[in-house]
Amino acid sequence: MSSFRRIEKGDNLELAITFTSQEAHVLINLTEQLLELLAEGEGQSHQVDPLLHLVGISSSDSLPEDPVLRRLLPNAYDDEKAAGEFRRYTEHGLREKKKAHALTIYEALVPQDEDWSGDTPLEKGSIEISFAQDDAMAWLGGLNDLRLALAVRLGIGAEKGAPTPQEQQKKYELMVDSDPMKAVYAVYSWIGWLQQSLLEALTAEK
Amino acid sequence: MALGTVTESESDLDLRADRPWVCVVWDDPVNLMSYVTHVFMVLFGYSKEKATELMLKVHNEGRATVTSGTREEMERDTQRLHEYGLWATVQRDNEF
Repeated sequence: MSSFRRIEKGDNLELAITFTSQEAHVLINLTEQLLELLAEGEGQSHQVDPLLHLVGISSSDSLPEDPVLRRLLPNAYDDEKAAGEFRRYTEHGLREKKKAHALTIYEALVPQDEDWSGDTPLEKGSIEISFAQDDAMAWLGGLNDLRLALAVRLGIGAEKGAPTPQEQQKKYELMVDSDPMKAVYAVYSWIGWLQQSLLEALTAEK
Repeated sequence: MALGTVTESESDLDLRADRPWVCVVWDDPVNLMSYVTHVFMVLFGYSKEKATELMLKVHNEGRATVTSGTREEMERDTQRLHEYGLWATVQRDNEF
């Protein structure tokens, strides 16, 4: 498990990291799923008006049914009517922004110049990537969306009285290794660790 | 009260400068404290001290008002916070 490093090139800052092929695969797989999820369910149960779609207005004015999308695309108002109206004008743009964040991660990991098939493992044992400081917020946002999506699977909620992160950690540590949720929690923790590592590399004192 | 009067007083309230709109961020145990602080600094240009103070308020009290202004401005701020996975809502500043 390697952490993010700073590469200073004159006035420009780049961030670099080496992933094992297994780590890269986990991130590729998750960002693919996130991209699919963000692309589907738009204008659920409504006919999408192509003209409105073109100008970024969706016909969806209610919270998505999918629990992960509900977490990623929350209501902006307590009031349902105001939330619905706001969603009609903004949900499409929000999805596009989140897709762009996920795509920034995905494209950094998937070699663009090779005939890549997501089903075959990387031949190399590890992959070294780097990106400009300008992409750091997209990485941070994309990693955060992956954590939010995994949190829904893990039952880590934001509602009042939900278990604290410490309580959650204890619960998963006590799980038997064969429990698939233990592996999901390990990935969730790792992505948090990556996010923290990127933040530290970004804000490190010169 | 007659219906017309209610409508009139409501539209009057909308224009009152002393009752601005606010953008409120709610606690989400998923989001790292360091990340939330960083997002406040980048999106709103806050100093590390101010961003940390707001992050701690969210963490300890469950919510914090992070910006205030016109309704349109608050909607834009809320949208930007959603883009980065923070849980935010728009409301009048006297709602709580």
